[in-house]
Amino acid sequence: MGYYDIDDILADGTRFPCRFNYDVPGLGYLEGNPGRPISKNAKLELPLWMVHLLAVVGAQSNEDSRVEEPLPFVELLPPDLFAPRVLNAIKSGATSLDLHSISPHFYTLAEKWATLFSDKELSQVLKDMLLERGQEINNHAISVSMFSNCNQTNDSAVFLQTLDEFEKTIYRDTNVNCKEMKKWLVLK
Amino acid sequence: MYGDLANKLILEAKRTQQLSQAGFNKQQLPVYQDELVRGILKEVGSLKKNVDYLREQQLTDQDNKVAQCQYVVAMLSMERNKRCLLAYQKMRSEMLDSMVWDNNGMEFSSAISNHPNLSSFDSSVLSHAEQEYLKEYAQLLTELKSGELSEIDLTGMLQPPSDVFIDVRVLKDAGQIETEYGVFNLIKDSQFFVRQSDVERLIQQGYLQKI
Repeated sequence: MGYYDIDDILADGTRFPCRFNYDVPGLGYLEGNPGRPISKNAKLELPLWMVHLLAVVGAQSNEDSRVEEPLPFVELLPPDLFAPRVLNAIKSGATSLDLHSISPHFYTLAEKWATLFSDKELSQVLKDMLLERGQEINNHAISVSMFSNCNQTNDSAVFLQTLDEFEKTIYRDTNVNCKEMKKWLVLK
Repeated sequence: MYGDLANKLILEAKRTQQLSQAGFNKQQLPVYQDELVRGILKEVGSLKKNVDYLREQQLTDQDNKVAQCQYVVAMLSMERNKRCLLAYQKMRSEMLDSMVWDNNGMEFSSAISNHPNLSSFDSSVLSHAEQEYLKEYAQLLTELKSGELSEIDLTGMLQPPSDVFIDVRVLKDAGQIETEYGVFNLIKDSQFFVRQSDVERLIQQGYLQKI
């Protein structure tokens, strides 16, 4: 999760739908027509690294800011990534879900999203999913290491395709640890 | 759009990372993406111009929230580009570091290109700055080992030896070596029964193979 973490940077590049709350001149290039202003209520998809600040920082309005919250530059619209459809699919069967096809950086993005909006429900779903899928990942990682290296069964190859990047690192670490553990037991 | 080039660079970095994780060519780095980096730097340059212009405007017109937004977007794009460039460079230099450690340091400083052990290593994949970095890092490691820490072999094997004497096979011609137990002429494909501590360095350098 560091500054130099390549997966984190990639996740930050994911585009989210959002809506502008102000008329802004000179930002037309975001929409694909440079030189033109961007109009209020324009909907477009912007990468997360740009939106996450714009959605929080508001234009300071003068005296009346005490009365009402300053409106942020852009408003993030609920993305497809965390639509109720997806959350329901996770709840109903986390292990059979093809997470990689939803987004290769699902966990990282969900984490960021939940932090931005203090989304309790999302983080709860995420925790349950990690628990459930973690066990399955563990099962696969152990069973592979039993038959040396390349004897991946078809079943587990298919499952591995569905992991997102974060889960892949879990899988790799588990696999390596199991092997080391077995080596140690033999030596003893 | 701003940041697209940087994204390409990061994808490239990701691919490199995956290759090295899968255990392919530990000795090889992909070619330095000179063109991409140049493009990104150019983008940062033009963003800088925009930012300077916007800041001037802001000074005259304090309450203009709209100009603030433009300013923030430009700043964010610059930040993003900076982060991508730094991450790319850091990943590469980390790989270079580990290569120096694996290859025992000194071989690099003497000759980057034409050492037999590193014949697979092509220094043209590095940028000019990276070549300098590699040379100096190897120099540092050599100094460290020959200085205060000369008693300890930092790049030695971590596993304790199982036997004092071992069988080795010669993989590449290496001329004659002298040991306490006589002179060995290392010709390719011959086998010897030697003391491990005498030939450890040669095993690491890839001349000999333990059997």
